[in-house]
Amino acid sequence: MMEYRLKIVTPDRLAFDGLAERLIARTTTGDVCILARHTEYITPLAIGVVKVKAEGEWRTASCSGGTLVVTGGEATIITDAFEWSDEIDIERAHAAKEKAEERMKNNTTEFEFKLAELKLKRAINRIKTGSR
Amino acid sequence: MAQSTKLIKNRIKSVEGTKQITKAMELVATSKLRRAKENMERIQPYFKSLKSLATELMKNNTDFSSPFCKSDGEKSACHVVIAGDRGLAGGYNANLFRSLNIKDGDYIVPIGKKVCEYFAKKNVHILTYDYLLAAKVRSGDCMRIAQLIAADYKLGKFGRVDVSYTKFVNVLTHEPETETLLPFVPEIERERKPGVLTIYEPGVEAVFNQLIPQYISGIIYGAVTSSVASELSSRRNAMQAANKNADEMIEDLTLKYNRSRQSAITQEITEIVAGSDM
Repeated sequence: MMEYRLKIVTPDRLAFDGLAERLIARTTTGDVCILARHTEYITPLAIGVVKVKAEGEWRTASCSGGTLVVTGGEATIITDAFEWSDEIDIERAHAAKEKAEERMKNNTTEFEFKLAELKLKRAINRIKTGSR
Repeated sequence: MAQSTKLIKNRIKSVEGTKQITKAMELVATSKLRRAKENMERIQPYFKSLKSLATELMKNNTDFSSPFCKSDGEKSACHVVIAGDRGLAGGYNANLFRSLNIKDGDYIVPIGKKVCEYFAKKNVHILTYDYLLAAKVRSGDCMRIAQLIAADYKLGKFGRVDVSYTKFVNVLTHEPETETLLPFVPEIERERKPGVLTIYEPGVEAVFNQLIPQYISGIIYGAVTSSVASELSSRRNAMQAANKNADEMIEDLTLKYNRSRQSAITQEITEIVAGSDM
């Protein structure tokens, strides 16, 4: 398989920087797979699972939105939060899920409801990815 | 004479007390600065990717239908101003405020307590009071600020958005800087690379709607980390200078004290000698 350079950056760290064979990410319109020699491409990402095949091994991660860009044969994921499946704190995610559900029940404004909804989505995604 | 030696001694004590405080502040700033610098370095890859993506987009984009690309110079502007929470940091706050170009009726997003104090008596609108402590702003907070700004910009509340912060060049150099965030258009007409066709999925509008708040939030967060590092490093430098001054003063005063003590002794001896001669 041909490899290409993949970078995954968050405000807190550089989660991945190296050669990858394949990347599967969830965009707002569905899953996409990026292989080497992909054309110039920009798409928003949804909250979902990201899979990367590097050095012959698949790794899964939870990704909370962001943007996927391919320029000049290099792919970059720019996101707010990104955790590999072995880094996820499932207990914390469960706690966040309960808290978000609680908030959605006693919501006051539409804005707060939306915030809680996003938090719930992220928590569910983390639980799903982490318990695989 | 005895009166004056006492006075000098008191002054030495008070200068020593001040020196202790400035020394402690210097140490605190030094240890905090190390953390702040680490923070700043950690965000660099994200910051750089975001910036290069933005310039790439500006270069190749031909579709300016997005509301974020429309500029309106007539309308008032929105400024995100990032400065310190406390004083005693040399010219850190004053330098930034001096560099600002703000007109009456503009909107301000203050980050840092000193910014709020500065704008309290000015004729401007404060957009939000939620993010007052610059040292406590996290990336999530920046996302919320960005969403707020993006939503208001779309509504046409203001025609321009910029961010003013202090750029950390190195420990001794910090430069106040202002960057334009919106409208999202190239400042100068750049050469377009022919043949580069980027696929926007599902469309330019959707990509921009997602990317612009992320871009704003990333730039603001980068600016905050850079400002915090600058503030701590200016405070450290200021406190170092204060320490040095205190040392000089103590040296000076000790010299004076010894002189006056000596002259008091000499006088006493002269008096005794004069008395025994009789």
